[in-house]
Amino acid sequence: MSDKPKKEDTGKFPVLGQMFLWADNPKSVNKLVYGLYALCTLLFLADFFYDKHVYLVEEEVPGFYALYGFFMCALLVICAKGMRLLLKRDEDYYAPDGVDSEDYPEDQLDKVKHDG
Amino acid sequence: MAEMIPVAFLFFAAALVLPALPMLVRSILLLGVPVLSGLIAWSLPEGMLLQVSFFGLELELMRVDPLSRIFAVIFSLAAFLGNLYAWHVRDTVQQAAALIYAGSAIGAVFAGDLITLFFYWEGTAIASVFLIWARRTEGAYHTGMRYLVIQIGSGVLLLVGAVLWHAETGTIAFDRMTLGSPATYFIFLSFGIKCAFPLLHNWLQDSYPAATVTGTVILSAFTTKLAVYALARGFAGTEILVYIGAAMTLFPIFYAVIENDLRRVLAYSLNNQLGFMVVGIGIGTELALNGTAAHAFAHILYKALLFMSVGAVLFRTGTAKGSELGGLYKTMPLTMIFCVVGAASISAFPLFSGFVTKSLILSASVKEHYNIIWAILLFASAGVFHHSGIKIPYFTFFAHDSGLRPKEAPTHMLLAMGITAFLCIAIGVYPAPLYALLPYEVQYESYTTTHVITQLQLLFFSALAFTVLMRTGIYPPELKSVNLDSDWTYRKAAPSVIRVLAAFVAHVYDSILTFLSNRINNTIRRLHRSHGPEGRMARNWPTGSMVLSIALLLGATLLVNFAG
Repeated sequence: MSDKPKKEDTGKFPVLGQMFLWADNPKSVNKLVYGLYALCTLLFLADFFYDKHVYLVEEEVPGFYALYGFFMCALLVICAKGMRLLLKRDEDYYAPDGVDSEDYPEDQLDKVKHDG
Repeated sequence: MAEMIPVAFLFFAAALVLPALPMLVRSILLLGVPVLSGLIAWSLPEGMLLQVSFFGLELELMRVDPLSRIFAVIFSLAAFLGNLYAWHVRDTVQQAAALIYAGSAIGAVFAGDLITLFFYWEGTAIASVFLIWARRTEGAYHTGMRYLVIQIGSGVLLLVGAVLWHAETGTIAFDRMTLGSPATYFIFLSFGIKCAFPLLHNWLQDSYPAATVTGTVILSAFTTKLAVYALARGFAGTEILVYIGAAMTLFPIFYAVIENDLRRVLAYSLNNQLGFMVVGIGIGTELALNGTAAHAFAHILYKALLFMSVGAVLFRTGTAKGSELGGLYKTMPLTMIFCVVGAASISAFPLFSGFVTKSLILSASVKEHYNIIWAILLFASAGVFHHSGIKIPYFTFFAHDSGLRPKEAPTHMLLAMGITAFLCIAIGVYPAPLYALLPYEVQYESYTTTHVITQLQLLFFSALAFTVLMRTGIYPPELKSVNLDSDWTYRKAAPSVIRVLAAFVAHVYDSILTFLSNRINNTIRRLHRSHGPEGRMARNWPTGSMVLSIALLLGATLLVNFAG
């Protein structure tokens, strides 16, 4: 994290970037999350209102895809988090024969600040 | 006329003259050759177009059929996009390597026999390693060495397999084989290494994040998809591939969740996507093989797009690590949008390319009653959305503000990303042209109400899981770290075993030497003690006693003489 000036001049950002600035506001993030909840509810309910053409019995369960997606993803993340206990090592674990702890060579980059 | 020159040779010729050309001509050549090769591949008539005699073997340099055509077209397209993205690169080595690499990959998909395939197979290995070494750091050098050993090893296995195959069948033609004889196992293993089968996979995650900004984009397109092509050509319908593929879709997604280097996250998800294609090959029906070819086509584009966007961030900030990034949407909004398009495509959102290609494979698995495999693929689809679809854009461009305010990516990168993003959406919205390129006729409708709604349910509820885990703080944060994977066996375990073994052998050798020299020393010491100057045997000086005996003997002789 670099030291940010207290009040950043966002007016110099690209116009497109300014249009997304609402994403920094916790209130709009909350709105977004509530929107997602609403959308998920609608999608779940949608299963009752159309003629589902599927091959498997499991697929016919209302909201099968929704529940499968939700719980398997939660499982995925929790398992992965558990794997960290066993598999996580420092960044320089393989040094010097790996690139993980190396800096990318500066001469191959073009680091420019947006207003510089 | 065009069919008299193998397409690959265009690339090699261009690579040869490249160093002599001024920069602008060079850049035009780098873009022009892939365009030309794409047009030729598109328009060539089908059939065996070019035979060459080589040590009594008939080599088929240009086998054109729908399967080789679609791969040649997408490889040409990928080479064009990759070179456009690398427009700023002034490093002749990388430019030539990219051309030879793409040319070899295209040559390999047109190869009608195993020997030609072998030459191009090794060509891709040797050319591509320079895209890693071009980073010019110690770590990249070592990583490139590991990559090269494994890739060349795959080629050697292919050659062994080809020789055995010739001994067994009397032909070197590269057609569908049945797994069973030693020859086929060698060839299968060779393809498997390049295709990153489980436990043979780690060269991929090891090397792709080590390449240069542009090198990774180019690497992501060819090697593994060449292996997919080779498997589809040689081993379609081999059932074990279904299970290998399913395992491939599964385990990388766990690693992708906890990996910090975003280019390595993408390498894991690349591995996962290959799994879908391998399952398609294993099922082997027309629908499944169409799915594999279509998915490879779409995958090359969206994977390149994702690597391009993360590469652009690396190019501007010097890092591609999740723990160091965040909040970049403010100053790199276009890159962010392109990244999101790539993410939506890999996640198979309706109207994006993955939606109309991956579903062919999933449908094929259900139709052939691989229900558990289908469930695994569905889980993997949700998982890939989780780490490639959400994690990559979220931790790079949103999440906590890193305070980095880099400039938007350079124009040529934006252009490359823009074209790729356009293609991802175009395929998703209007898949008919892609379906027309597939090896078999397509009778498949992706946009049914059921498919759209179920897919949206799967994706949005996965997003919901992400949101809930994020808000409750359960989601593992991005940490500066590496995770052990199968490469640990040859980077850490094998060296330590060898170290212990070497110490043991040295110790045994030392002990034997010490034992022997002790024995010799003891013998000498014992002799010295008995026969040395102070020894018991030396107390009676033998010369004295000898003189005495001789004197006695002489005396006796004298007496005998006198008496006689």
